[in-house]
This record gives sequence, structure tokens and C-alpha cells, in this order.
Amino acid sequence: MESVLEVQDLVTRFGAERIHDGVSFSVRRGEMVALIGGSGTGKSVLLKEVIGLLRPAAGSIRLLGAELWRSSPDEMNALRRRFGMLFQDGALFSSLTVAENIAVPFRENTDLPAELVSALVGFKLSLVGLAPETGAKMPAQLSGGMRKRAALARALALEPEILFLDEPTSGLDPVGARAFDRLVRVLCDSLGLTVFIVTHDLDTLLSVIDRAIVLAHGKVIADGPVEAVRRTDDAWIRDYFAARA
Amino acid sequence: MDQSAERFIEHRVEGGATVLYLTGAWRLAHLEAIARALAGLGLSLKERYVVDGSRLRELDTAAGFTLFRSLASLGCTEAMVSTRGFDARHRRLLALVHERMQCPPAEGHSGHLGFVPRVGAAAVALAGLLRTHNAFLGAVVLEALTLARRPRRFRLRETVSQFESVGFDAVPIVALVNFLIGVVFAYLLGVQAQRYGANIFVVDGVGLAMCRELAPLLAAVIVAGRSGAAFTAQLGTMKVQEEVDAISTLGLSPIQVLVIPRLAAIVVALPLLAFVGDAAGIGGGMVVAALQLGISPAAFLERLHATLPENYLIIGLAKTPVFAAFIALIACRMGLLVARDARSVGINTTSTVVQSIVWVIVLDAVFAVVFQYLGI
Repeated sequence: MESVLEVQDLVTRFGAERIHDGVSFSVRRGEMVALIGGSGTGKSVLLKEVIGLLRPAAGSIRLLGAELWRSSPDEMNALRRRFGMLFQDGALFSSLTVAENIAVPFRENTDLPAELVSALVGFKLSLVGLAPETGAKMPAQLSGGMRKRAALARALALEPEILFLDEPTSGLDPVGARAFDRLVRVLCDSLGLTVFIVTHDLDTLLSVIDRAIVLAHGKVIADGPVEAVRRTDDAWIRDYFAARA
Repeated sequence: MDQSAERFIEHRVEGGATVLYLTGAWRLAHLEAIARALAGLGLSLKERYVVDGSRLRELDTAAGFTLFRSLASLGCTEAMVSTRGFDARHRRLLALVHERMQCPPAEGHSGHLGFVPRVGAAAVALAGLLRTHNAFLGAVVLEALTLARRPRRFRLRETVSQFESVGFDAVPIVALVNFLIGVVFAYLLGVQAQRYGANIFVVDGVGLAMCRELAPLLAAVIVAGRSGAAFTAQLGTMKVQEEVDAISTLGLSPIQVLVIPRLAAIVVALPLLAFVGDAAGIGGGMVVAALQLGISPAAFLERLHATLPENYLIIGLAKTPVFAAFIALIACRMGLLVARDARSVGINTTSTVVQSIVWVIVLDAVFAVVFQYLGI
């Protein structure tokens, strides 16, 4: 399978501090990959670099076949329409209803008639397991889990090839978190989506992930199926998986 | 490839069933053409539909949804539609789409009301707000009485720190604005007075206007914009982060901890600022008098001393604690009314500034009428 995301020798510096010191990994189409690591290892920073929000100090990021940080602003925006991003707390626009939030990508990027857009929005809501009535609510009226689902519907609006998720289960109860994991897995399998998750939720890792990439000391210290990663000889990885037993 | 020429769908009758051959890229980007192609087929309710995906290149959920939706709109039931020839990935996608599509279209727009409903809604909201302002005033008075019985609970440190930011830090801006108004006022008055050789009456005019009206009003407007907005933003942010609830759960009263120190600080600070404004405004007038009208500062002060009644200064300053109390109560009230989203902090802050400036001017008008009746 082709690679949709290739990160090579990535270096990130904040002042004198080196957050990433030669990070390399790749993600193939249709895979569901988790990036894990302790607090302060730069997982979220890496995610921002991969989706084109923060320029790394050195190294290359190839996203969907294009060199991300050498693209022109137009190319970058075209690229952005081909992936979806779910921010940690949803990042729904607070002045719009849920339905309008999901309609934003359609309105900005397509010329579809309003009637078809509203049908598609209803379908997207149902795709992420929300009732159609939810569409009329304001984001502030939703629970944390519903907000994430609504944000997922918005991220899925333009039929992305890759879905980036930042801590998708943080702040959800265990039942809601597992349901969300299963939803993402179903979407990944059925839609052929590539899913890249930044997480520290061990249950997510054990239940739905194909492969885990472990970030520590500015480098990738393990990369492989969860079972293989688990056996890696590293103090942090041992503690991480031991927290479960 | 020229997508517009692509037909996306062909249909043929084979052995009693209508077969729909899907071709090309069924993607969101071509959705409009796909919807047109589907409508252009002129399909009607038939016994059996077979959807053939063997010529399909790409498929996404939006396109799959549109296909099923148009079949459903003909009145086709699940039993009447079958699929064939799709590759495994597309089959899974269609199965998911089919499973999740039993849904009415989503409605719900953040309302754009007509003129009359908007006026009505605004009036109802305003009436509700004023009513709860009263309730809030009552709550603050009760808390203040409790505090009067146990004065050691009064938060002096918080009050002093608020006084610094409300009063002390505002001195330069209040002085500057009043100085400039004094300059402008004296200049315009001077232009008229010079024609009649009545230069010296400019002193009377500047003294009277600054002390009785302009300095208290300008100080109040500046404090409303500066500190009123700050109070609402501070309390609103605390409300969003549940700090106000945390204060309550610690057994403290948010009104005692947050509102009363701010109220006390502003009620003390505003008269002082108004006095600074008086001095700065008269100073501005003095500069113009010296440069344009040939009245020396010494002559200016002498004339001011002789003609400015003391009670004008006192009336001007006496109004300001009332202005201050209104500003503080509105600002704190609006801060505590913030809902749990960041947007309402902005909305309420704007509302605080508008409400408190309007109230200051309304109160000033009421004072003017009352003082007239009382003959002061």
C-alpha cells in the first residue's frame, strides 16, 4: 500500500529546547495509527506540523504525495481539503448551530444547492451517530461526547482521505470513549479512511489501533503493532502498559 | 479527463429489472453533476432496481447517499433495490451509508428574525435584564449588610488592588481627556467672548462646565469603558472556568469576594478621578486663556476663586459615587451572567459598556432636573 504520510528526520526547536530530534515514520493508506508518548514529548506539536499549522525547524513531511512545507499557500489549501482534523475540544464555531457548523465546509468549497447540503448534513450527523434534532442546537448546549461527534461530522464533510484526531477520547466517559473508538474504526474500515490519532488512552490503543508509534526523548523509540510495541524494552513503555495490569 | 462530459450513470432494462450502471468517479466534487444525471434519467417507481458498480472508479459517502436518496424519493423500498459488481471497499461503504441514512434532512439555522420579532425579542430580553438587575441589587445590598455586621470579612487587599487599577492607573487618561476638553471648551467660548470684550467670563464658563458637568461625566464614561469592561471580562472568564462555582463550594459568597471589593473600589475612585478631571480641565482652560485671551494664570485663578460657587464643585463630585455604583453593579452582573462559552464573554462585555454609559447619562439628566427643582 502507498504511504499517505511520510515524516523524515523532523526537528522542532522552541528556543534552545529541542522537542523533536530526528523523528521519522510513515503511515500507509487505510491504516489506523496511534501516536503515543508522555506529556511534553511533543505529540500535539508534531500533529500541528503534519497538518500545516506549524513549520518544523528541519526535516521533511510528505502528505498525500506532496512536500507539505514546500507547497505554495494554494497547494497547501488544496491539500487541506483532502484531510480532516478533529481538535481536542471539537473547536466547533460557537456562533453557529451544529448543522451550520457541518455545512461550513460544503458552503465554502462546493456549489451544491442548499437543499442537498442540508440533506448531506443530516446524513453526516447520522453517520457519526447523532440524532437529526442535534443539528438545531448550539455547540454550547452539547455534552462533551456529542461535541466531539459533531466535530467529527464536520471533519468528515469533504470526504477526507486522512483523518487526524487529537486526543479524541479525552474528557469522555469510558462507555462514550469506547463507542467513539468503534465509530472511528467502522469509518476507517468502511470508508477506506486513513486515521492518525494522537492519544494517551490505552484502551483506544488496545481495542482499535493497527499500529502504534511511540515518541520519547525527541525520537521515535518504537513503531509497530501494539503487541510488538508492548514488548519494547523501555522504562516509559513498560510503565505505560503496566498502568493497565 | 473532462468531468462534465462524463455521464456517471446509464440505465438499461435486463430481464425485468432496471439496471443502473455507475461509471467514473462518484465523488463530492462531482456531486452536482451526479444529482443532475440521476434526475435526468427520469426514473419511476419500478418493481426491481439493480445497481451495478463494476464500472465505478471511485465512490464516497456523499455520492452514495445521493444515489440512495434519489431511489428512496421514488418510493423504492429496501427490498426493491439490490447491488452487484462493487468491489469490497465500495460495498462496505455503501452498506454503512445505507445503514445510517434513515434520517430526515438536518434543519436548524441560527435565526435571522424579521424586524418586528427582533424588536419584540430585544424588548423582552431588556425587560428581563432590568428585572434581574433589581434582584442583583437586592442581593448585593443584603451581602453588604452581612458584611457590615462582620467587617473583618471585608477584603481590603482585593479592594486596594482594584482601586489601583480602577483609580490610580486611570489618572493619566482621565487627566488628558479633561485637559483637552478644557482646551476646546475655553477656545470656543473665548472666540465668542472676545467679540464682546468679555474675555474674563471664559473663566466662569470653564469652571462651571468642568466642575458641574463635564469632568464627572467624562470620568464616569472613561471608567465605564475601562473598568466596567474589565470587570465583566474578569468575572466572565472566571465564570467560564467555573471559578465562581469553586468560590461558592468553598463556602464563600461570590458577591462578597468578587463584587463588593470592586464596588467599593470604584465608588471611592470615581470621585477622586472626577476631581483630577476638574483640575485638568481648568488647567486646559487656563492655558488657552493665557495664550489666546491674555488672561494670566494668576488672574484666572483669582477670578475662579471669586466666581465659582463651592457647591458646584461638590454637586459635581457628589454625583460620581452614584455613577460608580451603577457601573460596578452592571459590570459585575453582566460578568456573572456569562454562559459557559467564550463568545458570551465578548457579548456581555460589549453590553456592559453600552449599558453603563447609557445609565451614566440618564442619571446625569435626572440629577440635573432634580437639582433644578431643589434650586441648587
